[in-house]
Amino acid sequence: MSTPSATYKNEAPRRQVWRRFREKPINRWSLRILYLLVFIALTADFFANEKPLYCQIEGETYWPVLRSYAVDLGLQPPRGDFERMNWLTREYEAVVRAPIPYSPTTIDRRNMRAIGPFERQNTPSRYFQHWLGTDELGKDVAAGLIHGTRTALLVGLVAMTVASLIGIFLGAVAGYFGDDRLQWPRRRFWLFGLGLIPWIFFGWIAPAPWFFGESLIGRVLWIIATLVLLLWVCRLFVPERANHRQTAWPLDFGVMRLIEVMNSIPALMLLLAIVATIEQSSLLLVMAIIGVIGWTSIARFVRAELLRIREQNYIEAARALGISEGRILLRHALPNGLRPVLITIAFGISGAILLEAFLSFLSIGLPADAVTWGTLLNKIKTDTDAWWLALFPGFAIFITVTIFNLIGEGLSEAMKV
Amino acid sequence: MGAYLLKRLFFFLPTLILISVLAFFLSKTAPGDPVELYHRGAFGELGEGGAQAERIYTDTRAQLGLDKPVFYFAFTAKAYPDTLYRITRREHRQNLRQLIRQSGNWPAIQQYYRSTEQLFAACGQLPDTLAPNVVNQVQKILTGLPLRSDTTFINRQVYRLDTLLNNKPSLARTLGNADDDLIDAWQEVRQSSRPAALYTPALYWYGLDNQYHHWLKSMLHGDFGRSYLDGQPAAAKIGRALRWTLLINLLAIILAYGLSVPLGVYMAVHKDSRFDRVSTVALFMLYSLPSFWVGSLLLVIFTDPQLGLQFFSITRVNDAVNEGNLWQQVGATLRQIALPVFCLVYGSLAFIARQMRGGMIEVLQQDFIRTARAKGLSQRRVIWKHAFRNALFPLITLFASLFPAMLAGSVIIEYIFNIPGMGKLTVDSIRNQDWPVVYVLLLLSAVMTMAGILLADLLYSLADPRVSYQKKQSS
Repeated sequence: MSTPSATYKNEAPRRQVWRRFREKPINRWSLRILYLLVFIALTADFFANEKPLYCQIEGETYWPVLRSYAVDLGLQPPRGDFERMNWLTREYEAVVRAPIPYSPTTIDRRNMRAIGPFERQNTPSRYFQHWLGTDELGKDVAAGLIHGTRTALLVGLVAMTVASLIGIFLGAVAGYFGDDRLQWPRRRFWLFGLGLIPWIFFGWIAPAPWFFGESLIGRVLWIIATLVLLLWVCRLFVPERANHRQTAWPLDFGVMRLIEVMNSIPALMLLLAIVATIEQSSLLLVMAIIGVIGWTSIARFVRAELLRIREQNYIEAARALGISEGRILLRHALPNGLRPVLITIAFGISGAILLEAFLSFLSIGLPADAVTWGTLLNKIKTDTDAWWLALFPGFAIFITVTIFNLIGEGLSEAMKV
Repeated sequence: MGAYLLKRLFFFLPTLILISVLAFFLSKTAPGDPVELYHRGAFGELGEGGAQAERIYTDTRAQLGLDKPVFYFAFTAKAYPDTLYRITRREHRQNLRQLIRQSGNWPAIQQYYRSTEQLFAACGQLPDTLAPNVVNQVQKILTGLPLRSDTTFINRQVYRLDTLLNNKPSLARTLGNADDDLIDAWQEVRQSSRPAALYTPALYWYGLDNQYHHWLKSMLHGDFGRSYLDGQPAAAKIGRALRWTLLINLLAIILAYGLSVPLGVYMAVHKDSRFDRVSTVALFMLYSLPSFWVGSLLLVIFTDPQLGLQFFSITRVNDAVNEGNLWQQVGATLRQIALPVFCLVYGSLAFIARQMRGGMIEVLQQDFIRTARAKGLSQRRVIWKHAFRNALFPLITLFASLFPAMLAGSVIIEYIFNIPGMGKLTVDSIRNQDWPVVYVLLLLSAVMTMAGILLADLLYSLADPRVSYQKKQSS
């Protein structure tokens, strides 16, 4: 237990945590490596790309990498001859290539059958060396690693965003309202129960309005929108009156049972079983499913924190002032209860990255062309001599998982009072 | 205690039912037509087209119980009929749903679907001599139609059908007006959509004679269905796999606890010594090392002929496991499972040892430890009798979360080292679309996890007599 020195007495808690976190060198280094990984993920196309950064063909100047960004953004029309061009082997009048002149999908026919980094490689010059070797099809491992960074960080980001949205909401509601605080007039319960039937039909079964689209996200938003509408209607028709008999929602009980159910299925098994049923899988969908499975630890944390906060004096004061419960939860209780969630999120990111690596290692449920560290590592199963296929992608996973674990560890230490 | 146990078991029941519903519906949405998957393996090919194949298809479907409604009830829009499950082919059923989604007019769609069937049947009864080429083309179009729902495609095909038959008046005459029926029916589908029916709720009640009910009932009777792949009972397949999984996981748990507890205690007692500092870092590294990476590296090291370290059998299960005398069998099994067990152990070892150290340090700072020391008890007695027992509780709760994590981890490890356990079975079954096995495995892993949680609860109360699980009497 460290006692803050006098100069820091009026320091905001957030700054205090940050300062304590940065006091330890290992935490600072973890952050630096994280920044580096984010940087690589953002600029992967400029680091490893079969398209040159700049080139001259028949007197014309091109910036092929930038151009492909423009095409993706819809600023420029795609060019057929550019799509079909063999960027790697053609002749240029002048050219500036990416540091690693291969894309993760580039097939180098001269170096097929998994050539190691120290073996003789058939490349035109040192510049085209496969520094980390190639795989069975002649794809460059280094390029795969660099582009896999993007996937790995994206998995962490998307999965934990989804998990946080669900977990914070359920945890906050369970912790703050408990089994006794959210009281409704009994008639409103009846109305709500009746309203569930049309809600299930119009929210879940009938086609959603066109502006919500046919996509999964649109459907989820529509289900939430109709639920909010139902709650609003219930409130409108049965307003709060002093003489009504009140009944409380057993929210804490409900959420805890839900967490128990979720925890009684091993996450990987559930993930495999769900992903296997998807016929047209996408990386983004898999990330979202990982999030949907992994919200329970966040919910538990938030719940525990809010159970503590709801007994605090300032919450009592806010209630005495007549502020509505929803507003107290959102504006007063939740902001104070969110900080510890960062710890779970840090550990959760490393868990999500591992889960995705598991899936792609088993090559189940991911699109065939996805480039991830797990798919690179997977090739060791068929080609056990190619040690570079095991060492480098695994090391990348290890480093990423470790820094997120370290950050989580550091945060939890820094937040201990 | 008994009452608490009963209560816990009572809570498991709804959880189990929920999970069974989840597993059932996942298996229903899994890709592939179950009947065709069933006939791909040990049950003989369905064959291409023809009345024979159709009959086998229908028979198998009835045998698998797929000709029944899916659940006790269906809550859908009025546009969908309550008898849609009677459509034999799964692809046709899905496509009809899509068509209903588009127009909402089931009677017209039904008329259209029937007329494609009738025309197809009429084509089958034609004499072989009558324009076989054209008949062939017509039949081809007709098999394609019930699989597609985009209107432009169907328009074009129906128009093509019409011109084909108009060019062969003799053929059209023999077929009667079956072809006009089809065109009329399709016009009807296009022109009279009933969107209101898509927004009208309907509840259909099917009663107990449904797929889920039969599935659940046979599960309770110990019949877990048959593998699509080789026709073996799923229970037998899983039972064989379960032996391996339990063997390596139990070994791993015993080893992990057996090694980490003394290590954690030693680190806590000698807190801040050099040994403690080094092991803390080492344990953290171990904890973060992904087991499947370590597994892959071990795979490389112990299979590479250049290194000459081929002590372990890795690439496949050795038959030696079941041969020779007892010692030879044990030796063969150990060579098989040594590496997988190692991969499972080191992660949990690191995890448990870190927890043990933390818990022990906390306990050692308590007053009663100082009291015990002041009484003149030996160091050993203080640590093992007084401190250790109190530091043990978090370890027991850990078991509840460690066990499922290990089960999940062993999926990958078994896959890497070719251990024919549950994990490898899961992966293989998913790859082969052997859904009955996959979803029974899902259920089983859930049951095992719940059993682990329950066991942890029981151990907890055994270790600490103060834990009673009875509601505190409010006086």
